[in-house]
Amino acid sequence: MSRVPDLFPAIPVVEAERVILRGPKESDFETVVAFEASDRKAFIGGPVDRWGAWQGFLAVLGHWALRGYGFWTVEERATGLPVGRIGVIYHHETLWPEPELGWHMFEGAEGKGLAHDAAVAARAYAAEAWDMAPLISQIHPDNIRSRKLAERMGCVVERESTVLDTPVLIYRHPDPRKERA
Amino acid sequence: MITIPTLTTERLTLRAPALSDFDTLTAFYASDRSKFVGGPMTAELTWRQLATEIGHWQLRGFGRWIVDETASGRTIGMVGLWCPEGFPEPEVGWDLFEGSEGKGYATEAGAAARAYAYGEVGLTTLISLVKPANTPSARVCARLGAWHDSDFTHERWGALQVWRHPAPEDLAEGGMEAYA
Repeated sequence: MSRVPDLFPAIPVVEAERVILRGPKESDFETVVAFEASDRKAFIGGPVDRWGAWQGFLAVLGHWALRGYGFWTVEERATGLPVGRIGVIYHHETLWPEPELGWHMFEGAEGKGLAHDAAVAARAYAAEAWDMAPLISQIHPDNIRSRKLAERMGCVVERESTVLDTPVLIYRHPDPRKERA
Repeated sequence: MITIPTLTTERLTLRAPALSDFDTLTAFYASDRSKFVGGPMTAELTWRQLATEIGHWQLRGFGRWIVDETASGRTIGMVGLWCPEGFPEPEVGWDLFEGSEGKGYATEAGAAARAYAYGEVGLTTLISLVKPANTPSARVCARLGAWHDSDFTHERWGALQVWRHPAPEDLAEGGMEAYA
């Protein structure tokens, strides 16, 4: 019996000021189920039932294995609780235009700057560790909170598009390496 | 570290799912053949399913393999151990792709997956959940020595037959040949 050693890359831990980005843990699942069932999922293909939430939860792990990068759970330092998910998503190339910096925050996690903290850290990590920059973010035109975050991060609308039959604005991020230089 | 082992049987190779399996899986899940196993489904859901298969290994420590016909290299199905949300206990299951039925492949790969479940994973019992109308799959269960034990209703897939497989000690006594 031979073994394939590299299918499951260790998911890196990224430290930011108020949050930690870490791999998904099974203990995140009930929080994800609640999120997937809620109206908060409206802009990104939801709501989704418990089975769908489970499938999506495992698919996040599988994405890391297939792509070598993926979605972290955002953990708030102050509480140790999962407050959202963020990372680089690239579904199959027939479905997705290019790797995307995506995010969603769970109920009650907004208004504290946690999403911004996490998104800046994730974007910097993607640029430095994976040489992925400048990234896009695909955002529903009516998703004002998410658009505000993108704009606060210096993103500009590149074009209108649709992804999985959903209208989106494709925002382009600045390359964080060039900003610093 | 979690790894997905490669198993070999007389005619088949059971290996980790890969990105390159996407087209084969998309064709299977787009077809009527997938009607007993959650399909038909779109390419988007198929991608998600492929990622889910790998995530299952990571979360549970076991999962399903992609099965290749060793001699030709042709991919003939997906077989293995599966315990998604809402299942009463782990099952061994088999999905054969177009043109691969009637050769005993499901039985051959299913037996290898079951031996892995008992030997490597350490499971002490195993079921197969079968849609009542899926008689080819029920026949594979019978060939593997399993019996229709009870019934179960899954929140998404509805009524399913629970086929119970022989326990590890019963297989050890009778040997695989008893069920060939």
